[in-house]
Amino acid sequence: MNEIEIVKRAQAGDFGAFTELVNAHKDKLYAFVRKLTGDPEDTNDIVQDTFLKAIDKIDQFRGESSFGTWLTSIALNQARGMFAKRKQTDLRPLEDYLPAGATNGPNPLANASLFDWRDPLSVLEAAEINELVEEGLAGIPFKYREAFLLRYVEEMSVKEVAATIGQSEAATKSRILRARLALRDFLSRRFEGNYGEKMRRVH
Amino acid sequence: MARKCEEFIKGLADYIDGDIEPELCDEIEKHIGKCNNCRIMVDTMRQTVSLCREGKEERLPEALERKLTGMLKERWDKKFGHS
Repeated sequence: MNEIEIVKRAQAGDFGAFTELVNAHKDKLYAFVRKLTGDPEDTNDIVQDTFLKAIDKIDQFRGESSFGTWLTSIALNQARGMFAKRKQTDLRPLEDYLPAGATNGPNPLANASLFDWRDPLSVLEAAEINELVEEGLAGIPFKYREAFLLRYVEEMSVKEVAATIGQSEAATKSRILRARLALRDFLSRRFEGNYGEKMRRVH
Repeated sequence: MARKCEEFIKGLADYIDGDIEPELCDEIEKHIGKCNNCRIMVDTMRQTVSLCREGKEERLPEALERKLTGMLKERWDKKFGHS
């Protein structure tokens, strides 16, 4: 039975069908929200509320997107509400994440790390890298992080991300790029600072 | 790193994601061949995404799943009127 049929059964009141949908999407949704929030407690709250909201709104699901994408949108709304209450420092201008000399005129902050870290998995344990990625993502303001994760973890097109976050494609592209450059710069500095010697030896 | 690199870096994400015209792609590849800084930017930007994707496989914790099962059934019955 395809997913549309399962959704229809759920919409008609079949709890077994809804449970099938939950089981099909629970791990993927959890993994996405975990990256989005960086915190296990926040993740639990959002995942729980997402499935409860999905019950409340199940009759509003029209199949315009996949059921998984619909759940992701609910989770994003929950997360947005949570992060809107928290103070976040904005990212620096794009130029600051580019290497020194890449901009015209004086810009003392334009000094991105150019450490050549190549394949960190050949040097570090996956767990160490995960921790760094998690820390790096957590340091990126929510509006950039959500765009980046939707594009590269949920593997949506720029157009789909734009529709999901309610921004123009140009603004969405800019958010994705800034998050990517900021995370790249964070990882470069950490790799160089903590493991530079080890990495240079291997490469 | 010259002025050309700045314009270039802004197009890098499109290049890495395979989202640009072939002519521009050739131009970028030629530039990377000559500019080590841009080559590092391309490699590490690509790796940044790979590391996010390859991260630990997170699964819904069992404790949450148990809690959720009861909560969802309760909400469902409330909505659809079962006892």
